[in-house]
Amino acid sequence: MTASRRLIRFLLPSIAALCAMFALTAVIFILGVLLVRGLGSIDWAFLTSDTRSAGAEGGILYQILGTLILIATALAVAAPPALAIGLTRVVFLRSRPRAARVVDALLHALNGIPSIVFGILGLLIFLKFFDWGKSWLAGGILLGVMILPTLTVSLVERLAAVPRKYIEAAVGLGLTREQIITAVWLPQSWSGLLTGSLLGLARAAGETAPILFVTAVFSGATLPTGIRDNPVLALPYHVFVLAQDSFNDDARANLWGAALVLVLLVACFNLAALPLRLNLHEESRHV
Amino acid sequence: MSEKNTIAHRATEGTEINGPGCGSSSATSVSPCEKNSPLLRVRNLSVSIGKAGILDNISLEVPHRTVFGLVGPSGAGKSTLLRCLNRMIEMTPGARVTGSIHFHGQDIFAPTFDSDVLRTRIGMIFQQPVVFPTSIERNVLFGIRRLRRLSRSEGTDLVEKSLHEAALWDEVKDRLHASAQVLSIGQQQRLCLARTLATDPEIILMDEPTSALDARSTEAIESLILRLKTERTIVLVTHNLGQARRVTDWVGCLCPSVSTGAGEMLESACCDAFFGSETCRRVFRTLADDETLS
Repeated sequence: MTASRRLIRFLLPSIAALCAMFALTAVIFILGVLLVRGLGSIDWAFLTSDTRSAGAEGGILYQILGTLILIATALAVAAPPALAIGLTRVVFLRSRPRAARVVDALLHALNGIPSIVFGILGLLIFLKFFDWGKSWLAGGILLGVMILPTLTVSLVERLAAVPRKYIEAAVGLGLTREQIITAVWLPQSWSGLLTGSLLGLARAAGETAPILFVTAVFSGATLPTGIRDNPVLALPYHVFVLAQDSFNDDARANLWGAALVLVLLVACFNLAALPLRLNLHEESRHV
Repeated sequence: MSEKNTIAHRATEGTEINGPGCGSSSATSVSPCEKNSPLLRVRNLSVSIGKAGILDNISLEVPHRTVFGLVGPSGAGKSTLLRCLNRMIEMTPGARVTGSIHFHGQDIFAPTFDSDVLRTRIGMIFQQPVVFPTSIERNVLFGIRRLRRLSRSEGTDLVEKSLHEAALWDEVKDRLHASAQVLSIGQQQRLCLARTLATDPEIILMDEPTSALDARSTEAIESLILRLKTERTIVLVTHNLGQARRVTDWVGCLCPSVSTGAGEMLESACCDAFFGSETCRRVFRTLADDETLS
């Protein structure tokens, strides 16, 4: 083996390991800072009481609830079209690869739109055109559109991986295309929708820009009772405002607490779904 | 001339031609070489995929309650012909079919003919058994419970009846709710057969059903085929002339044309006639070569 080859053989894994360590260090650093600064302000009262004194006192109950409402709405908005687009893309456009590529291109384009653009579009549509005022539904819809590509791509991946032999066997039994969708395509691929939903929800929960103009307020909102003029509080927006405006040490401690709660919330979703995801397919247990 | 040809030739004359009789030897079936009214009638069928011709001007007739064997070397279009019979060829992108196939006198390629209904009456077994990742019981009912409404007791009865018919009941009766994927590959193939039998098809198409199986499972499937033909019609694609000899009543022999490469029907005859013919000797040599090469 020549010296240069030996060098490459040594360098490549070293560089790869360094890069991996960089990523790992970043995660550990962020979590560390959040824990050190935020853990102190988290207690039961913090999680279950309303904000007082502009964030310096009280808790973040309604911010947590608001965020949950927003991501639940986003999921409800995004899941049906994701399912429809996924089936169209893989099942109905099977013999039309060009049309399928157009769908892919559109999804990627949608995924590439910056979140602040969603924010101003929402401002234009929901606030100016529909005159909703600030509304939880507007934010939920915007977040739903934003995470739609994540859900769809993840579902399409699973749909495309459904073994051809299952489809042929079902066709051979005389099942109609619709029956094959419910009997084979969907049971074989809904873990993809789940995985995509988790990734999407994690993203939606942390987004500030789309809800900035049309949904979130800093204080004074509790649970929505209608659509118009029913804003909600949200964790990322709370963090955003506190970070900009807090000169008070107590408020700053609460800021870190809120940020930590946001991270834990997202982590909870992922962890809760992990066993479900691994066990979803009987196939995975036997093969 | 290579030695293997001589060996193959000897085998043709010895064990195969004078071996135990064609499938029609079983008591209940029609007497050999006597044609009852055809259930399937293929006329001038040609298939091309893209620019490649796969089948050229195929005609054949499959009589009621017989086993029709399709033999011939790889690439002769046997599986394609089989997939035409239940219109599964339409799932192949770029496939073009001309000619006609009549089932009970009706043209199956007619625009008004429902291909899904056709496939409930013409079932199919594949080379590799395809079991769904669920229990044995649910595999048996996979098709039928979507085709018609089944009560719980009907379902239970049907599972037992179908598994009996597929000669699998005794091996799985204590673990119907266990996953079907732990079964041996031979058992899986019989499970696929049970799943198809549950939908009660008139014709069962089998695409080299035993080529993935060991000798014992092959024997089980072969005796099953002989038993099934008392009530159903079977079209069997096989590589194995010995198998064709053992279970078929009629044999169609496909061979790729020298000029175009598309499969042509060399001979379609009743089993006894086929195995006495010159075509048979030739095909047997080709197949013996195939096997030696692979």
